[in-house]
Amino acid sequence: MFIDINAWAGMWPGKPNIPSQIKPIQTLLSQYGIEYIFMASLDAPWSGSPHLSNSIIYETEQYDHISPVPVIDPTLPTWPIELDKAGVKIIKLLPNYCCFKLKEADELFEEASLKGIIVMVQVRMEDPRRHHTLARVPDVPIKDIMDVAESYPKLKIILGGVNTPSSFNLIPQLRAKPDIYLDTSQLDGMDSIKMLVEKGLESQLLFGSHAPMFMPAAGIARVLNDLPDEIAMAIMRDNAAKLLNI
Amino acid sequence: MSLASLRNNLQPDGPVLDIHVHPLNCFGTFKPSSPKEDAKILIARAERSGITKMCVFSLYETTPYEPTPEQCQWANNYVLSMRDVEPDKIIPFCYVTPAFPHEAVMEIERCVGNHGMLGIKLWVARRAKDINLDLIMEAAIAYDVPVLQHAWLKSMGNLAGESTPFDVADLARRHPKSKIIMAHLNGVGYRGIEALVNLPNVVVDTSGGDPESGILEVAIKRLGAKRIVYGSDAPIRHFGVMINKILGAEIRKTDKQSILWNNALRILNIDH
Repeated sequence: MFIDINAWAGMWPGKPNIPSQIKPIQTLLSQYGIEYIFMASLDAPWSGSPHLSNSIIYETEQYDHISPVPVIDPTLPTWPIELDKAGVKIIKLLPNYCCFKLKEADELFEEASLKGIIVMVQVRMEDPRRHHTLARVPDVPIKDIMDVAESYPKLKIILGGVNTPSSFNLIPQLRAKPDIYLDTSQLDGMDSIKMLVEKGLESQLLFGSHAPMFMPAAGIARVLNDLPDEIAMAIMRDNAAKLLNI
Repeated sequence: MSLASLRNNLQPDGPVLDIHVHPLNCFGTFKPSSPKEDAKILIARAERSGITKMCVFSLYETTPYEPTPEQCQWANNYVLSMRDVEPDKIIPFCYVTPAFPHEAVMEIERCVGNHGMLGIKLWVARRAKDINLDLIMEAAIAYDVPVLQHAWLKSMGNLAGESTPFDVADLARRHPKSKIIMAHLNGVGYRGIEALVNLPNVVVDTSGGDPESGILEVAIKRLGAKRIVYGSDAPIRHFGVMINKILGAEIRKTDKQSILWNNALRILNIDH
């Protein structure tokens, strides 16, 4: 019934009691009607080479309705191989964890534009206040992402993990760029998604659970509790289905 | 699975008391014109997510870290006006600052003693280890009401007056007869849970923070389900997201009922 464009599989440091393997994560998500999952490697942000850590998500070939989302580091010479893996519809960039600037990804953006591959930039993995004191990772500056959007007008971009105040600040820019999307995984606060819909962003919101880091029930409730069926289904499924030709 | 049945699964199947709610005039994008309008909007949103009752405390409209006694009085009058709209749904807590302990005790006498408020709220003016809290705690014990103390454990360091869970533990040891609700399970994390293990007079609320997987399960294992109460921190957080931190957890149904309702009733000394 639903499409989740922002799920993960793998281990996250300091969270030993959350599911890490593909099957239990798929089972968890399916309990809440999520039938199609775009899944990235949770090991990748902390890996010396995210490309090596992507191996877990290529195990998704054994499962129906899970698409791998490779994490790519454009400063590693192997990035074109990751980009060309068969069937990849979305790639994910974590410039703050992988320690590169989006300016260093020009060639990658050119290629993704040409191939119609969608680029998701993960702005935040978790609340910065909850980071380990010795492993504090700043959010990706949203201005840097919007500069990419300006430079590559044919590139479709998803902003992953944007929080509510940042999303509200972005409303005018997003309305002017219908090929830029927001995932809902960190849009908390009373009526936050309802307000974004009322500001004209209904077609640019995509459901993302951020599971297994976050609880899927909570992420779904912020959409379903506030919106009528048609709009809720647009965010939970139809917008992603249209964007990803599912 | 239909959309209707899924919507139903995201709702509680029993009553829910939210122990941690702020008026809309403190946080968020709503700008209510009066306490009455504030109460009506807040209650409507709460009911949409299945909340039956809520404890509400104002931090004054500009939310200063160091409020004056007059600002606390204003905040408390605002919440009392909200209660007048729906006395069965809004349970007011009294906001005071330990920076002015004698004025704080007078305000507790006014609000708890005379106006029937059922709890005391402390925020970030002074840490819980500060002896200025002692008079406030003695008043709370005398009135047999809980003290809800904000706490976080921030990677970049807390505010000067912002309590860590270790400060709250110190407070609980100094006042073993008090009832303390430590706010923000997801804000204090695993270290915060450990800080409370041997302190039965402290419960922790689930308000605020992200809907992080696995933490409630750890809290139940280390503290027991009777020492956890549901809270949202609305309107900063979404009622539906926060309640589904409980409904979506891998815990027993009876533990969910305790966290969502029974424990709060016990701490507040009310029967429904």
